[in-house]
Amino acid sequence: MTGYTPLLPEGILIGVAALVILVGLFIEKKKILGYFTLIGLLASLGLTISSWNITTAYTGAPFYGAIVVDPFAQIFNMMFLFVGILVCIAALDAYGDHKNQDEFYALMLLAIVGMMTVALSKDLVALFIGFELASISTYAMAGFDKHDPKSIEAAMKYFLIGGLSSSLMVFGMSYLYGLTGSTNIDTIAAVFAENTALIGTPAILLAMVMLIAGFGFKMAFVPFHMWAPDTYEGAPSIVSSLLAAGSKKMGFAAAFRVFIIGLIAMKLDWYIAFVILAVVTMTVGNVLAVVQKSVKRMLAYSSVAHAGYIAIVFAIVAYPYASADATGLAVAGGILHAFSHAIGKAGAFIAVGAVTYMLMSKNAVDGDPNHIDNYDGLGRRAPLTALLMTIMLLSLAGIPPTFGFTSKWYLFLSAIKGGLLWLAVICVLNSALSVYYYAKVIMRMYWGEPKGDAFIEPPMYLFAMTIAVIALIALFFVPDGVYYWADAAAHALLGV
Amino acid sequence: MDPTLTAITTIDFRMYAHWIVLLPMIGFLLELLIGQYTWRKGGMFANLSIFGSMVISYGCLYNVYVQHLGFWEYSWDWFYPGIVAGFTVDPLSLAMLCMVSFISFLIHIYAIGYMGHDCAKHVYFAETALFTGSMFGLVLANNLLQLFIFWEMVGLCSYLLIGFWWHKPEAAAAGKKAWMSCAVGDCLFLLGIAIMYTIMAKHGVTTEVISFNQIFQHLEVLSSSVVFGIPALTIICILFMCGVLGKSAGFPLHVWIPDAMEGPTTVSALIHAATMVTAGVYLIARAFPIFLAAPHALAVVGFFGAFTALYASTLGLVVNDLKRIFAYSTISQLGYMITILGCGAVIGVAAVALALFHLVAHAFFKALLFLTSGSVLHGTSNTRDIKEMGGLLKGMPWTGWTMLAGALALIAFPFTAGYYSKDRIIEEAYVYATGHGSLGYLPWLFLVLGVILTATYTFRAWYLAMTGEPRSYLAVHPHECDWWMRTPLVILAIFALGLGLFTKGGTLFWHFLEETFVTATNTVSGIYPGIDLHEIATLGGNHLLEHGHAAEISPAVIYLPFFLMVAGLAIATGAYYRNRVDMSKYIKKENPLYQLLWNKYYMDYLFKDILAEKIIMTVFTFWDVLDRYVIDGVVNLMSWITISTGQVSRKIQTGVVQNYATAVIFGVSLLVILVKLLGGV
Repeated sequence: MTGYTPLLPEGILIGVAALVILVGLFIEKKKILGYFTLIGLLASLGLTISSWNITTAYTGAPFYGAIVVDPFAQIFNMMFLFVGILVCIAALDAYGDHKNQDEFYALMLLAIVGMMTVALSKDLVALFIGFELASISTYAMAGFDKHDPKSIEAAMKYFLIGGLSSSLMVFGMSYLYGLTGSTNIDTIAAVFAENTALIGTPAILLAMVMLIAGFGFKMAFVPFHMWAPDTYEGAPSIVSSLLAAGSKKMGFAAAFRVFIIGLIAMKLDWYIAFVILAVVTMTVGNVLAVVQKSVKRMLAYSSVAHAGYIAIVFAIVAYPYASADATGLAVAGGILHAFSHAIGKAGAFIAVGAVTYMLMSKNAVDGDPNHIDNYDGLGRRAPLTALLMTIMLLSLAGIPPTFGFTSKWYLFLSAIKGGLLWLAVICVLNSALSVYYYAKVIMRMYWGEPKGDAFIEPPMYLFAMTIAVIALIALFFVPDGVYYWADAAAHALLGV
Repeated sequence: MDPTLTAITTIDFRMYAHWIVLLPMIGFLLELLIGQYTWRKGGMFANLSIFGSMVISYGCLYNVYVQHLGFWEYSWDWFYPGIVAGFTVDPLSLAMLCMVSFISFLIHIYAIGYMGHDCAKHVYFAETALFTGSMFGLVLANNLLQLFIFWEMVGLCSYLLIGFWWHKPEAAAAGKKAWMSCAVGDCLFLLGIAIMYTIMAKHGVTTEVISFNQIFQHLEVLSSSVVFGIPALTIICILFMCGVLGKSAGFPLHVWIPDAMEGPTTVSALIHAATMVTAGVYLIARAFPIFLAAPHALAVVGFFGAFTALYASTLGLVVNDLKRIFAYSTISQLGYMITILGCGAVIGVAAVALALFHLVAHAFFKALLFLTSGSVLHGTSNTRDIKEMGGLLKGMPWTGWTMLAGALALIAFPFTAGYYSKDRIIEEAYVYATGHGSLGYLPWLFLVLGVILTATYTFRAWYLAMTGEPRSYLAVHPHECDWWMRTPLVILAIFALGLGLFTKGGTLFWHFLEETFVTATNTVSGIYPGIDLHEIATLGGNHLLEHGHAAEISPAVIYLPFFLMVAGLAIATGAYYRNRVDMSKYIKKENPLYQLLWNKYYMDYLFKDILAEKIIMTVFTFWDVLDRYVIDGVVNLMSWITISTGQVSRKIQTGVVQNYATAVIFGVSLLVILVKLLGGV
């Protein structure tokens, strides 16, 4: 079994999920299961970090090359596990008294296993299985507040559009299989590299576009993003946190694996298509975020905008004049930005959850608990929550001293190094626009008139946010460790 | 020897230099979060953390000065390859560290008494701790970017603390003015750093691109760079100089300092006299080899410095606000420091040593003068006008006599700290003048004239405040300050009088400082060899005198400042103590000279009424119209579109998911068309 040690992090999570479900049937005080889940996640994260630099390909039975553990998979796994830990800690407060909380933990663990599987896979089938495992678990989680019609609506929309996207994705994969006779990504790339006659065919065009639609659904690219604001807004906040920070990054993991390897092999000059996709996505996300009245919906649109920033990686990789250095930097920058966005967005959604929780506990909800009016004077009503949320919003806006600044710096720098200065300018202008809506929330929290007395701040929510904030600030001052991880991941992915 | 003492001497404090910065930062956080629940409702953490920094600073001094462990530089990769963060411990940074930590600690102790009744005391201490930490960061920085970040942070703290009593409108306005004036210089400074980065990268430097030592090693190649037909180094130095003029209150960006006196007096003493305003002088000193290698850069530095020195001292003559008199004297003394750095074109690294010695001496006596004026304010219910004081010496002897000590040091009375530091500067300015033609005499002339004015305005203030009869109700029964405030006053007075004597007339200090740049610096990975300043000077067309030069200066020149000082003192005594001259004959509206000085040469008028209100407001009005009708129009249009879309989709609530699905299919089709049209397929 020693050969399977690198897969132990996933194994632990599956085991814990099964145990949680099983034990949950027999006990009444289920909060203990949350702590158990947390320990499982921590153990898994520890194992992943300790083996960040290994490369193990499983070419023999039973995987036949479908699974590979490499730095690229490991850094995404760290991201998923870190987000999982944050969500799990917040869930201890959010669902501490819920009678079905064991299901929540089990579903969350399985969703994370699904995401990790996507990061590990080198094969379209394995990738699809991981994708569906994560999707189906999160469909159920989005509707977890089953007495809240908004939660059910969110789950339904997510499920319907998700189903459509999955079918498009499988459709695209079937074309690739039909053209190359393999589902292994490396083999597909090799076939294209040898058989240049294949490259001009419309079948490839269709296959790639279908895959963009399929992955673009998870990544929330415009116009595949429309479910995202509704779902993120309607779903329980900590589930939105998992969706925006985890599930979305799974889309990127899959897209990086398939497109970047595929694009290099096919030498397709798709960069204009990707540039348009990226620019439209970030602009639409930012412009719509500006006019939102609900903080949660604003975060959802900001998440769309961030998908647009990360999407410039594809444009740079596809750009024929970009040097190998710039390509490597772009992938590393994309991974770093995915990381910083995962931490910042997970934390911000948890903060929104904390505000809802505090309002609920005072029975002070009047209409939408996420409405910006409820954030007036939060700096005085809930000082710690407001402070932590401020730092996370600053990170999302890319303002130092936060990790969000560092990651944006690398990402935009790679565009400049790759010769796409104007694209970097568009990204910076978009970032400047985004400061408006983040700063608006901060202003309301500190300069608004409080509409009531102080809250008792929920400790576990605070704990989760504190971890996120410490990570964001620490990674600004000492980014070299995570930079080397991302750099190694980029090299593993690009194979140089 | 006592074993614990032996153990302490074996510690290499240089390895803990980063804690000098971190401790006050921790103090800042603790003070801000829990300060108000602790001892005396705030101040404990700030005082303790700065004490800790002081111990490490003096430990480093011991390592380098006594144990000769060598200079030390430590840096680590920060974010982009080539951008590092790091600390450097050499005589230059040590002199600043020891001065800043010591003065800051004394002022923090004083503030325990002075701010005793303020209800937001913990915020005050948090901000001063943050300021002190940032100042340490600025001093320790081994590269330009880090220095700039801390440079901005001290500026931010200065803004916050000037406006600490924000409910007073003039305090809020003064904070804004300080920020805006400094921002003008800081933008240009940042531009200079950017140009420096560019030319370093152009010459193929990839590691520690804007670290000082790395720049010094490459000065020879850099001096060949040209931007717009001008040597790049000269442009860079002039841009740095703009930053210096903002931060160190040089003409014409000095206008913010007098207004900054609206802040608490401890802030004026800490930030606007002893530490922050000297950051500009420190920057020139730290970057001295760059200035030396840049043609004409030091001449610009020297002339601006000397003009500021004279200009500010004329203004000090007519102001009646006690704190503002000292503020103008600060501007003037900073001018002396900047002038001597400009004279470095002839005297080399000795200029850095002389400037730093005057900086340290000035920090002691100016902090003392401000703290005593704070004590006066505290004891007379915030009277600041010297016309309303008089005879305070009887009511507050501690304050009065220590203020006299500070005043004597300021006018360079024999054997006080200022005597050794300032007179030597004037002497060296004469050495500079002898080699630079008739124009070269200007800086020296300005400095010499400044001496007589300094003596006059300083003692005008002291006589009017301390002697004679009380001229207002508030000055009749002043109350002396408490021991928290008295102790720092006495310690500072001892140093203001005796610093020169303690350092054998400054020679110990000078010899230590003159090792900077020319001695090698150890790093983790290797050694930066010392640089040959004579060679570097030739790059900039400067010719340094050999060390230990024997330039013939006639005794008349050497003793001239002393006689002028006596003359100034005599004028002040005659006019304000003996009342031999009726000053009201000269101080009246009809006197055009008085009008000119009273209106500060119309600089505020020029900046505020003409530049800000006429020129900038015109531009802004135009922008406002554009903003209101064009930009707002676009934004309104966008929100109108969004809101209409929202309202339309609300009406077809049941069809929404289908619409989303349609959008997905629409997107797929669009992508196919897009790739087909634009792509290579």
